[in-house]
Amino acid sequence: MNITLRTLSLIALCAAAVVAVTGCKSTSVNTVGNAEKSGQTQMITDERVLTDQTLNNIVRIVGVNTAKGAEGFLKVQVQVQNLKRSARSFTYRVEWFDENGMIIDLPTGVARPRTIEGQELMVITATAPTPRAKDFRMKFLEPTTK
Amino acid sequence: MTTKLNLLLCASAVALLCGCATKTAYVDPNSSNLITTTEGINIQDFSQAADAMTASLIDNLINPGMLKSAEPGEPALMAISRIQNNTGQQLDTDMLVKKMRVALLRTGKIQTSTTIAYGGAEDPLAAEQQKAQEFFEDKKHSRLPDYTLSGKIIEDRTSAGRTKQTSYIFQLSLSSRAGIGVWEDERTIVKQGKRASVGF
Repeated sequence: MNITLRTLSLIALCAAAVVAVTGCKSTSVNTVGNAEKSGQTQMITDERVLTDQTLNNIVRIVGVNTAKGAEGFLKVQVQVQNLKRSARSFTYRVEWFDENGMIIDLPTGVARPRTIEGQELMVITATAPTPRAKDFRMKFLEPTTK
Repeated sequence: MTTKLNLLLCASAVALLCGCATKTAYVDPNSSNLITTTEGINIQDFSQAADAMTASLIDNLINPGMLKSAEPGEPALMAISRIQNNTGQQLDTDMLVKKMRVALLRTGKIQTSTTIAYGGAEDPLAAEQQKAQEFFEDKKHSRLPDYTLSGKIIEDRTSAGRTKQTSYIFQLSLSSRAGIGVWEDERTIVKQGKRASVGF
């Protein structure tokens, strides 16, 4: 009877371990792309203010590049990488500033939710709402679901 | 001793009740602290869809210089056509369209007609004034829209166990005077959950 109980305990422990491992399974991403790039990415010097180190490991900013279209609207591309091994969620918001450094107020300037897989390199793009927008600030936040 | 104990108990009960009182506070409509439900479209869903659609319109039509105006030097004129609500709930499609109109007007490249729209003039007084001016001056003042905006909002619901998933698909098209779709886009917002929550 004792042996049976011990065996049962072992089985239960094994099952719990399997469940724990499955529950924490990593969802990291494997990628492939052309090695000799045709496009020229003009990376810019960025200014970072990091106050949340945990978030910085989920959304690590790799680089920022900008481009302008024929009509003068600024387009921003921010490359971020999740340094964790599992999928994480975050939100981001973009603020635009005119030539005088004044913020451009818009009804559509909302926080946007995104999910990034483990180790994934993700590109976030934003287009200026007006050709008057000369500078930008992208804010990253952890999800705040209560 | 018993009196002291009773007083202490009363004080604790009052403190507990005050601590549990429901607080109401103002929340920034652009923040990520808004109530999110799977039961319907929330205001942040409209904002996200409008933001994505406006950005797509700027990226694909305005910024490459493909937007044409019949009046040289003037912004293009857009009229709002039918925006169909194919969801199971009653909603005002202006929650999507108005945000886009404001954002597009601020680009300085598109204006919206308030006298020509699907279902009649949005501003009846402006339409009357336009007619009166045309009558007195014996000259046409109304400008035909260069583009019309139409679209649809579609809902899809599914569930697995206790988890509910609701998807809202926003479809928009911009047609030229020739009736050709010069810009089209579709954005899907998917929400999953067991109950309503605050935040994303």
